[in-house]
Formats: sequence, C-alpha cells, structure tokens
Amino acid sequence: MLANYGFVTDSYSAASGKGMPGIRSISEKVPCESTVAADIEAGVTEVIDEIIETLTRPLTDQEKSPPPMDTGETSRIIFKGNLGEVNRFFYQRGWADGLPVVPPTEEAVAEMLTGTDFPPDHVVTKIIPRMGKATVEKIAINAVMAGALPTYMPVLIAAAQAIMDPKTRFDTFEVSTGSWAPFYILNGSIRKAININCSSGALSPGDIANAAIGRAMGLIVKNIGGARKAVEDMGVLGNPGKYTLVIGENEEESPWEPLHVSRGYRKEDNAVTVFFPNSFSQTIPMQTDDKGIIQAMINNVRGGGMAGFLLIPAHARYLANEGWTRKQVMEYIVENAVTTTGPGVPLPSGEEGVRKMFSDTGSMIIVVAGGPGVFTGVLTSAGGGAMSGFGNDFVTRKIELPANWDKLVAKYKNVVPTYAKY
Amino acid sequence: MSNVANGQYEVLSPWAVVDPITLRGSAPRVDDLNGKTIGLFKNFKRAARPVLEVVERELQKKYPTAKFSWFESNAANVLETETENKEKFEEWAKSIDVAVTAVGD
Repeated sequence: MLANYGFVTDSYSAASGKGMPGIRSISEKVPCESTVAADIEAGVTEVIDEIIETLTRPLTDQEKSPPPMDTGETSRIIFKGNLGEVNRFFYQRGWADGLPVVPPTEEAVAEMLTGTDFPPDHVVTKIIPRMGKATVEKIAINAVMAGALPTYMPVLIAAAQAIMDPKTRFDTFEVSTGSWAPFYILNGSIRKAININCSSGALSPGDIANAAIGRAMGLIVKNIGGARKAVEDMGVLGNPGKYTLVIGENEEESPWEPLHVSRGYRKEDNAVTVFFPNSFSQTIPMQTDDKGIIQAMINNVRGGGMAGFLLIPAHARYLANEGWTRKQVMEYIVENAVTTTGPGVPLPSGEEGVRKMFSDTGSMIIVVAGGPGVFTGVLTSAGGGAMSGFGNDFVTRKIELPANWDKLVAKYKNVVPTYAKY
Repeated sequence: MSNVANGQYEVLSPWAVVDPITLRGSAPRVDDLNGKTIGLFKNFKRAARPVLEVVERELQKKYPTAKFSWFESNAANVLETETENKEKFEEWAKSIDVAVTAVGD
C-alpha cells in the first residue's frame, strides 16, 4: 500500500482491524489528495524501488501467519492511585481527552448504572473501527470519566446506537481528514428532566448535560470504538466540537412541531438526532422580515451538502406568523441557495460555475434553539440528501427510559448552577 | 472496593473488549515482476488514480513483460467484499500475482 507519510500508522490500524495486520505500507510524500502532476510524479518515483522490494521480498513468518490479536481483556481493576496519578495513568494510556477525568471507581460506576435497566454486560452495540463491545458497563465507565450523571445513561445508550446506524456513515466521519464532529440534538421531556440547555448559550460551556453527554460520547468513541486522534482519527485540523456538541430543541418556544415528530416519532417520545458537521457559523439577517431571516440562513452556509440550521425562537415565530411551515422554509432554501466554484477551479467532477447547494429538503434539518437575540446559526456537513452518492443521512433514535426514571430525575434534577448576583 | 478516604482510587478500564477475529496472512510475494500481472487497486480518493498511473508507468519501464490490471473502487471506507462488486473483486484478485493500492491520502 502506498500511503502519505502521515497515514502509514492509520493504514496499519485499518488493516489490522479488518484482520490483516501483515500488510506492507510504504510511506510516500505525495501531498494528500494532490491534483498537481509534478508532485505526484516526484513522490512516487522516489519510492519505486521500495515498491519493487515490497512486492518481491519473501513474507516473514508473522506476515504469513499473524499472531493472535489483543482482545483488550484486562484485570477488572486497571489501576490504583490518587487523583493525580489516576489522571496521569489514563492520559498516558491514551484513554483521556486532555481534560481531567473523574475516576471510574466501582462505586461511581455502580451509581452510573442506576441510570439504566440493562445489565452491565449487555452489549448495546459494537463501535467501529475496532468493533469494541459497547457494554452498558463500558458506557457507564466512560460516562463517569466525563462527569456525567446517571440520568444521562439513556441518552448515551441511544446515542451509541444512533452513531452506529449505517445511515450516519460514522465509519467515515469519525476518522475522516475532515474533522467531522457528532452533533446531538435532543427532543422530548428528557431535555427538561436532565437540564439540557436549549436556550441562551446552549452550545457554550456551563451545563453539565450538554457538556458531559458530548464528552462521554467522545470518550466512548475513543475507548470503545478505538478511534484515536492522529492514529485512526485523521482529522487534519481537528474540531473543538469533538469535546461536545449537544443541544436540545427549544420545543416550548417553537411554533412548529418538534424535530423528532417531523422525523416520525410521537411527541411524547424522547429522541436523539445526530449528524456530523465540521463547521459552525453564526450570522445576523440584514432584514428581520421573513425573506431576510431565510436569506441569512442561506448566506450562512458555505458550500452546501448537508446542514443543520439553528433557528432562534424569535425568528421561527416570525416565520410561522407569516405562514411559513418548517418544510416550506427548507423548500425555499433548496430553491434559492446557490454557490459558485470560482473561475478556473472546477469541482473534481469537472462541474464549474453556479450550482445549487442542496439537492432536496432531506439534506437539511431546522432546529429551533437558542435564546433572545438576532443571530442565526448553521452546522454544515458533507453528502446528504437524495442526490448524495455517499449515502449519509440524519439519524434519529428513540431514547428508552428506565423504570425508575421519575425517582432518578428527582435525585439529580436539582444539580444546577446557582449564580451569585453582583 | 476503592479506598477514597485515603485518597486512593481503584479504577475500572474504559477500554473495550473485542471479539477475536480471524486473522489472515498476506499473499505470497513473487521472485521477479517480469511476466507477472500486477494489480492496481484504486480507491475513491482523487489522487489514487494519478498515483497508480505513475506506479504503472515506472514499473513497466523496469519490467517490460509485466502486465497490469486495474480495479476501481468507489466505495468509501467499505471493504470491497462487502459491496455489490464482491464477485468482481474476488475474480480480479484471483487474476493477479501481486497488488499495489494507493489510498489517495
């Protein structure tokens, strides 16, 4: 295999994960995805002798018959130490995310497990690329590390199932050079029960639920799925959204039916919707009438593909009062959102000039969220919609609550900040 | 049980267990590329084709009797054997002596 020098480790991980640890990968210096013939020429000719040697050198015994793989089995207690030592141990093992973690002791994990009716050894899903078994206990351990409360367990279980739905194309987005981050949108009464912020500053730090659910999912992807930064996750620039990107729809202030209802669930259901954007942009309308609001949504998108619009309640209400449904807003955006390739820079397909940004309304969602103000937001991703050859889509998953839900909520619902006045 | 009172934490591992999978050895190498069929497997990334075109040209110069056989994959991050092209791919794999792939990254 020929791989850019930055991707050699990734190539071994990928092959090993598919049962072929003995591949031979050659490091070359062709710039990634290059369209410059001279660079490709130079990068390949430099390693042509190595290619020949790789094709003709006899296999070693290990290449012929790879030794059994490490299945990750360890003793139940993996480490003992004080808070600092535990944190250094986890960080040095590559199990943390750069921030301090809460030690996942037996007691802390047992408390986390009160958030689900599933037994600890129940396998919720297997997470790619390593196909690690996402048992309820492993989810709980990572949730403890992230600072989650037990009431988040139903969300984490549903979110793990959601990302592993093939329609998300998580297999690509989680490890892609594009640094795509999972964006989780919660609907239903669970938002209030666990204090998900749906209003002012919902995507800023400061709310445990928004912070810890995304962080726990990041640790789950890393420690259960085995997608490690610059090893398997080859995001070029990275993405702060990988720490957490969680919001609730502001259903109480929305004039429209909740997002999950528009996606086929009942209003009384709880649900999580996910897709993988790599950018978040905010802007203000030049005019605050209906056309001005929608034009600001369009102007806020670059490139197109797949979009999750965050429409503040004030704008949503204005549009609704003017007779717009959510679907009509999306249809207007599909019809009017265009972009241009720029002179002399065609798409890889050869397409050039002005083109539509969205293929159809299936390539976008509109989430009513945020607080008072005038800004409108959008998170954009690739693919999406009926025209996408990539086959990805938004995925919504119902969140199942445990039998003791009301007692659990009563126990943790008052874990909220009380800010001093000054 | 952890003994947090003494500031000591006994912690559980967040790292998941996997089911063992059947590992496969690599295909045997050849002594000489002359007269052999060299497979060129191109994935969906745009640089894969031009990279392999240079590989083909350079190897042909050094091994004039070598033959080349291309396989084009347009599936992103999916094993070819898991696509509708499974049979076509397996036939191709049987027809070559060695293979070079460039992933475009």
